Amino acid sequence: MATELQPAPVDAPHDGAPAGRSPWRLAFARLRQNRVALAFLALFVLIVVFCLAAPLWSTHVAETGPNDTHTLEKITVNGEKKDVVTPDGQPIGPVWFKAGGKFFLGADGRLGRDEMVRLMYGGRTSLFISLAAALVTTLLSIVLGLMAGYYRGWIDAVIARGLDIIWAFPVLLLGIALGTALAVGGLQIGPISISGTSIWIPTLIIGVVYVPYMARPLRGEVLALREKEFVEAAVAQGAGPLRVMFGELLPNLWSTIIVFFTLNIANNMLLESALSFLGAGVQAPNSSWGTMISTGFELIQSAPLLTILPGAMILLTVLSLNVFGDGLRDALDPKSRLRLEVEAHSGLIEPEGPAI
Amino acid sequence: MRKLAALLAISVLFVTAGVGLASCGSSGESSGKEGGTLIGTFTGFPDYLDPALSYTAEGWTAMWDTYIPLLTYAHAGGVEGSKVIPGLATEMPKITNGGKTYTLMLTQGLKYSDGTPIKASDFRFAVERMIQLNSGGSPFYMSIVGAEQFQKTKKGPISGIKTNDKTGEIVINLTEPRGTFNNELGLLFVAPLPPDTPIKNLTGDPPPASGPYEIVSSEPGEGWKYERNPEWTKNNSKLLPELPSGHVDKIDVKLVRNSATQVSEIERGTTQWMQSLIPPGLYQQTLSKFKGTQLREEIVPNVYYFWMNMTRAPFNNLKVREAVNYAISSEAMERIYAGSLKQLRQVLPEGIPGHKEYDLYPYNMAKAKELIAEAKPSDTNITVWTDSEPTQEEAGAYYQDQLNKLGFNSKLKIINPDDYFTIIGNKTTPDLDTGWVDWYQDYPHPNDFFQPLLAGESILPTNNNNFAYINDPKLNAKIARLRTEQLGPKQEAEYAELDKEYMEQAPWAPYGQRTLTTFVSSEIDLDKIIFNPTFGQDLTSFQFK
Repeated sequence: MATELQPAPVDAPHDGAPAGRSPWRLAFARLRQNRVALAFLALFVLIVVFCLAAPLWSTHVAETGPNDTHTLEKITVNGEKKDVVTPDGQPIGPVWFKAGGKFFLGADGRLGRDEMVRLMYGGRTSLFISLAAALVTTLLSIVLGLMAGYYRGWIDAVIARGLDIIWAFPVLLLGIALGTALAVGGLQIGPISISGTSIWIPTLIIGVVYVPYMARPLRGEVLALREKEFVEAAVAQGAGPLRVMFGELLPNLWSTIIVFFTLNIANNMLLESALSFLGAGVQAPNSSWGTMISTGFELIQSAPLLTILPGAMILLTVLSLNVFGDGLRDALDPKSRLRLEVEAHSGLIEPEGPAI
Repeated sequence: MRKLAALLAISVLFVTAGVGLASCGSSGESSGKEGGTLIGTFTGFPDYLDPALSYTAEGWTAMWDTYIPLLTYAHAGGVEGSKVIPGLATEMPKITNGGKTYTLMLTQGLKYSDGTPIKASDFRFAVERMIQLNSGGSPFYMSIVGAEQFQKTKKGPISGIKTNDKTGEIVINLTEPRGTFNNELGLLFVAPLPPDTPIKNLTGDPPPASGPYEIVSSEPGEGWKYERNPEWTKNNSKLLPELPSGHVDKIDVKLVRNSATQVSEIERGTTQWMQSLIPPGLYQQTLSKFKGTQLREEIVPNVYYFWMNMTRAPFNNLKVREAVNYAISSEAMERIYAGSLKQLRQVLPEGIPGHKEYDLYPYNMAKAKELIAEAKPSDTNITVWTDSEPTQEEAGAYYQDQLNKLGFNSKLKIINPDDYFTIIGNKTTPDLDTGWVDWYQDYPHPNDFFQPLLAGESILPTNNNNFAYINDPKLNAKIARLRTEQLGPKQEAEYAELDKEYMEQAPWAPYGQRTLTTFVSSEIDLDKIIFNPTFGQDLTSFQFK
């Protein structure tokens, strides 16, 4: 049988990699292959949708706000009147749809607030803080990492020592100290004034304390990149420092930044929960998953769901972000996976310590 | 003969049984084990383990049986425990010169735990030491002639205290009559101490004891230990027979920061007593399991309330303050405190002379909204202050929600309990609009609920306790007059009237009186434990079964 030789398609694989595609498309293609990462991304999206639906549930189903107290009220469950909070202070448990969706997950404690509504609004707060803090960390880290790595010399020394000082403090202790100090007077930076009860306080605290964890690796990458020929070429063409940093170096850092950003959101969520649990994060009566654990913890024997539910939400969110973040890292930098596996097998790397 | 023998036998049986029953009846004094080591827990270390400085319930419980003032409070619970009795003094003071001179006699032959004799001049030393240390208790003794001058110069002696070490006579001259002075002489601030006691905070190395127990070691942040005062056993107990000597030989107190852990340790029997409150989340559960056998509720004079700053809008409007009072439901607050709070809508709590129950503002949300509509407050932005202790935080959140339901835009400011009173007591703190506060008596006298909390002269730039900033000349004058009079039925009636007059001004929205608890392990005889309304659990009353 005669065989007709066909020209190879433009993007036919050569050495296992599709040809003629941009690195981003390649990464996307690799990510699509990672079903586990995609499943956890879907889970994260579901959680976000659940939290974004809070006003709808609050207005049309529960008919109460997240901070509305119902200590003395009664609800009708299967035709029977029940106290939202009993005279001895016990909150009602989950009633699911038996009261038309009101107190679906029961009341949150002796104030008789709707647990489901607070869980949804609490998620919005936790997600907002985690995302906004990750943005703060990323922006500061990019600027500091680029400046330190590009200029080197005394600028590098000042930035590096500043980061070392923050790095030297345990993240949680630093967060508690800042949270407690700023809770009374708030924060005044020039014309910007932030109240002590604002969620921007924990957001900024978390955003700042994690800067060294991202800025230092970025600085290392910049130090290596600035010696490359494409930088020399740009400089030879008359490019100034800003253009070199943001036009030449930054595009080469994006893959690292994206991976760090994803994993940073997960770490931020854990730190926000810890700070709120300890009273140095989100201030009552606003809810976050951390404050909800703190409130529920006191009733853990009689109403364990009040602690378990927000705890489970944090677990699922952090897990989904971590697994997806790992998948993203593998997709953006496949060599790192290979390198990590080789190093792990050869015992060259230590297991990672706790993030905080 | 047999009949007689049988009759005799029956008689003997009855007599024996009678004796047995009689001895059972008096077993309150004699039954139970003597000796042993009591292990107790506190959630925090007391502010000080120095009698001149401590001004907290924890410190007073810890030192009541260690440092005996000239006068003291009866070792009893309830109203009986509010009675002032002689301590180191032989009898109650002779009050002469129109209530301005107090004469006492120190019991001769007493010794401190280090063997130093207790002298009359030690009282003056204790007063001077307390003032030199800028103790929070100093204001109670500023009416002693020369005390204010001494506070300024820190140079003595205080001219208003004359002592005679040979006879033991102590004469105290006051600048004006003070009806509460006997109560104040019974506080630990002025318990005599050896004259060589350093003028510094001795929490880490407490001074020698005059009472039945001495503190033998103190590790701030960890705990402290007591042993029997050897001089009490040998000497003082015979000279002061009215004061109890205690049953256990040693007491070890350790800190357990989590009160839920304190509860579980008692349940397991690893500790025998917890000084702290049972957390609301475990309150009902613990009550139903142990009430009567290991747990007892204690009625202590205290008041929990929301203050409203009358110098700031919108609370400078009486109608707004009345509306807030109508909007607070004591029943809701009872639930928030898990049943550990009794309703109270007035200044004077149960257990204080002059307390006469009334409620000017029964819960009525509709009426509250009407009043707000009439008041038309110009400023609707309110900051609500509270501390981060769980129940206080919830009380603050409830209050904030009620204010919002009245149409205000309120925000909650939650402060660490260690700093809370310093912050809200500082006049320069911004946005001091309204907030939560509690007050436990310093001594069982109605003046203690009016003078520091509501009198105009108590408004201070720092360490202020008049959080409502109420300064009504007519009511101030009434407090000042009643302060100079010894408490009797007439004065009690006047204090009850004063209570109403203040609540008509509505500077506060009082909502309850907290019930405290005594919780011990099954090895301890609960019935014997005395809970004094001023000093809490009496360490001398703990006894192993």
